[in-house]
Amino acid sequence: MQFEVIATCNTTRARVCRMKLTHGVTMLPTFMPVATQAAIKGLTPEQVESLGITLILNNTYHLNLRPGIKILDEAGGAHNFQGWNRNLLTDSGGFQLVSLSKFTKITEEGALFSSPFTGEPTMLTPEESISIQHSIGADIIMQLDDVVSSLTVGPRVAEAMERSVRWLDRCIEQHERSGQRDRQNLFAIVQGGLDAELRDRCLQAMIARKDHVAGYAIGGLSGGEEKDVFWRIIKQCAEQLPADRPRYAMGVGFAEDLLVCVALGVDMADCVFPTRTARFGVALTFKGPLNLRLRKHAESIEPIDENCPCPTCSSRTSRAMLHHIVTIETAGAHAVTQHNLVFQAQVIGRARDAIMEGRFPDYLRTFFENYFGDHGYPEWCVDALRSVGVDLLEGRDLPLIPGSGAKWEYSDVA
Amino acid sequence: MGTALDSESHSQEGSDVRMLTFGLQKSCQSRFGPRVGRIILAAPREECTTDIAIDGTSSVTLDTPNILVGTSRGVVPHLSRDHCNSADAIKWINVPFESFIEQSPPVPTLQTGPDPLHNFLGFDKRRHIVSLCLRDPMDTREMPPNGNAYVSALCVRGVRKVTPSDWRKYVYKLQPDVVFALSDTPFTAPPHSQKRVTKSIERSIAWLVDILRSLEYPVRPCSLPISGQPSQHPLNVFVNMAGGTSIPAREAFAHSLSEELYGPDLEAVKPIKRLDDGVVGYSFDLATLRGSIPKPLCLLRRTQVNNVLQQESPNMLQDAVKLIEIPTPENGDIHTPPPLPSRIAESAVLPDAASLLQASLKQLPDGKPRLVTGVRSPHEMLRLIRDVGVDIFDADLAIAAAHVGVALDFAFPLPPDLGPSEEGKKKDVGHNLYDQGYAHQYGRLSDCLAGAAESQSQFPTPLPICPCIACSPRSPTSHILHSKADVQSYEERDRSGKVVYNPPRSRGYLHHLLHTHEMSAHTMLVAHNLAVLDRFLFGVRDVLAGRRDGINKGEGEDGISRFTAEVNRFESVYDESMEVIHVARKCWHEVDLARGKGRLWREKEKQVLVEAEGVSGG
Repeated sequence: MQFEVIATCNTTRARVCRMKLTHGVTMLPTFMPVATQAAIKGLTPEQVESLGITLILNNTYHLNLRPGIKILDEAGGAHNFQGWNRNLLTDSGGFQLVSLSKFTKITEEGALFSSPFTGEPTMLTPEESISIQHSIGADIIMQLDDVVSSLTVGPRVAEAMERSVRWLDRCIEQHERSGQRDRQNLFAIVQGGLDAELRDRCLQAMIARKDHVAGYAIGGLSGGEEKDVFWRIIKQCAEQLPADRPRYAMGVGFAEDLLVCVALGVDMADCVFPTRTARFGVALTFKGPLNLRLRKHAESIEPIDENCPCPTCSSRTSRAMLHHIVTIETAGAHAVTQHNLVFQAQVIGRARDAIMEGRFPDYLRTFFENYFGDHGYPEWCVDALRSVGVDLLEGRDLPLIPGSGAKWEYSDVA
Repeated sequence: MGTALDSESHSQEGSDVRMLTFGLQKSCQSRFGPRVGRIILAAPREECTTDIAIDGTSSVTLDTPNILVGTSRGVVPHLSRDHCNSADAIKWINVPFESFIEQSPPVPTLQTGPDPLHNFLGFDKRRHIVSLCLRDPMDTREMPPNGNAYVSALCVRGVRKVTPSDWRKYVYKLQPDVVFALSDTPFTAPPHSQKRVTKSIERSIAWLVDILRSLEYPVRPCSLPISGQPSQHPLNVFVNMAGGTSIPAREAFAHSLSEELYGPDLEAVKPIKRLDDGVVGYSFDLATLRGSIPKPLCLLRRTQVNNVLQQESPNMLQDAVKLIEIPTPENGDIHTPPPLPSRIAESAVLPDAASLLQASLKQLPDGKPRLVTGVRSPHEMLRLIRDVGVDIFDADLAIAAAHVGVALDFAFPLPPDLGPSEEGKKKDVGHNLYDQGYAHQYGRLSDCLAGAAESQSQFPTPLPICPCIACSPRSPTSHILHSKADVQSYEERDRSGKVVYNPPRSRGYLHHLLHTHEMSAHTMLVAHNLAVLDRFLFGVRDVLAGRRDGINKGEGEDGISRFTAEVNRFESVYDESMEVIHVARKCWHEVDLARGKGRLWREKEKQVLVEAEGVSGG
């Protein structure tokens, strides 16, 4: 990996970086769409590439089940298998073991789970996770970590954090043994739950291994914790992580969350949200999400967003037409998926420009003004951005919404 | 009926109305023999000169025999707009309008500006002929009966009545390139009584008269004869040839088209003297001629499409659906033509499709395109070309195969070395990619068509190219740039604009996508199957035109005899029962149902069982 910081924000901790991997250059900060089973739902790789996306994510757990390592090896890796010529990141599979299987038991050796094929107890060790990710061949691979829900409390959190450090060492060893280091880049995952002290200890241990890792992820968040805690942990981690390594916030996808994370120093994020919500008929816009299933869109001949460069808006697909097909025709899902991916890329692409041009605080203020308008801003965003020197309100008297404050178009009444 | 809508329609005038013309190659002029032709949709120039002038900027040319592609809710199933607009195979798109009548006024009619239908649906005027019909010709489910003055049409909120005057209003507002006149097709179990068949003919004629009614001002100030019979009407009207499965009834309907009009009908359609003069083509819905008993009506017939999304989307629109039964009052105000001969009642034994079509066509001029929907196999297409001279087929079989995971793989003419397998088993027309056998196959989808990357390689393939997004994926020539720094992500090669083809998507990849419910599988299969069908008819035209390997080797007669021989070869090699599609449908259904915990386990057990059987059997 070649990693270079090319601009930093004078006010916040935001930065623009150039990350060169085996399959090309990705400009950071960036949002990574998720192609869980080797396809961005409904699209082709060429379509995704034409949207200006240069880095996507595959899930190791899913690819290991189907098509399986044998087929990926025969096909020459996941890039070839799915026809994706740009950069690819795989997770370690640990998160899905915990989220998709009730029977997973974590031991020092690895994660013990019942095989979905045979029901037999099966062990996923850190070594095995890395070797599966070698077969997949992603440009960025993740260490196997001991994941606990972000709502877990008690000694289990500390145990998981410490084990994640020990497993990182095993992953490093396996990775360095493989001779894949020049093609694939191993990221560590900072754990420690919502406990600042545990996070500090984890950071210290993982930063000590810096020479053996290409980047750092901040894990164990986006699991339903208080947003106020979420941003403080992100800030704490991003502050301490070395400047010459990319920082990846796992599972972050709402536009406001993304921008706060970027302001706190995060370079990469992934989430299924923009593609999943598209399939339910929700289009994301700079003026907030549009639920296209609502009757109020049934007669609107306007596109989702006049200024959006996505294929759906630039061909002037009307909201009325989308209302007619979303959640009924797969083509409706494709149209909104294309739009939402471009929206995410625009939100963060414009952030890159703003950072490089020294006007990132203005960009943040404009974004929040357009996106939330007079409904009020999420209080946590205001607090988080104040902590890095940006006052979203600037003396204006706007309501602050406690809790997540995420904007949603629920019904026709709204 | 409304003067209001006439005045509404005038506002659309002056925009370039495109005229559909059809020319047949001279050498194939026997009434029902195979034929090669060309459909041109073009706007005549504003000024009237004695020469025929065509505005080339937005004209579409379609060589026949060819396909039209049907839509579901206004979209070609599974294709996004960019895919639809880049598919070479998609030139004529047919839009059944009924899904839009769930709202009043129907939403597409709200589109402003020129070419409202094209623009609402995102079709490209320079590439696509867009036709409009009321009912989906593939939908043969039982329906409440039509009335004398309305057709029962189906939308997601139930059955709606559409009157001829509604239809005129929609058509003039939407300006499709081609419109299908309303037609009274009974959706009850055949055979139909003489009374019903007679009524069907009377209504269909009356409704054709209605769509051909003259406007107060001529839309085309100079209606120039371009070739043969001019269409004297501003709409390009196709008429569905009524008469069901009764040959005398079909003859009677055709006769009504060609006889000179008199009285109020003549007055209505002035300056047209015979209905046929106002018609540019003839259409036949085979789905209603099969003699099968219509299935009971349950809404949302294309469950395949829905299920892909359903797994995540719990409260879909169908929850709101309530079927409204509408009684049929027999109180229309339609004129009564002379009674038809009594032998007109449909026979219980179904005559073959070719003779039904011939009965409709034999009294009518040769020079108009013949369009068939509901064809079930490439074999049937070939026979209808050979025995009836059909020019246009709908492509539903390609889309239906894609729904159930089948990649089509057949060619016309057959490659010289291709014959039935040794055991005398015929070749399948495609591959059921659900089958485990494809899991480890990394080659392209079709054996008989190559990917474009292969033609760019050091040893170019002799096979024809399948230009679809799966076989010949093209690296994008442009990327959306989201910031000024983004150019750094693209090297010279990416920005040169040169077309680079990626290797074809493999059967194994599509097998994987099908088993993981990924929608991309269906997207690629629809595009591929349409391309295969397109290439197949290209081959038909090539043979008929007497070309061999691209070189013109002979005249029409030679072409026709070679065509007949090639049809026989095709029928002897490929399995017409299309067993592969039936098997795939079962697999599709199983995978579709297989969701939730323990699924992989159950599948594995089954696979082991199948493999064990395979071993003992072999």
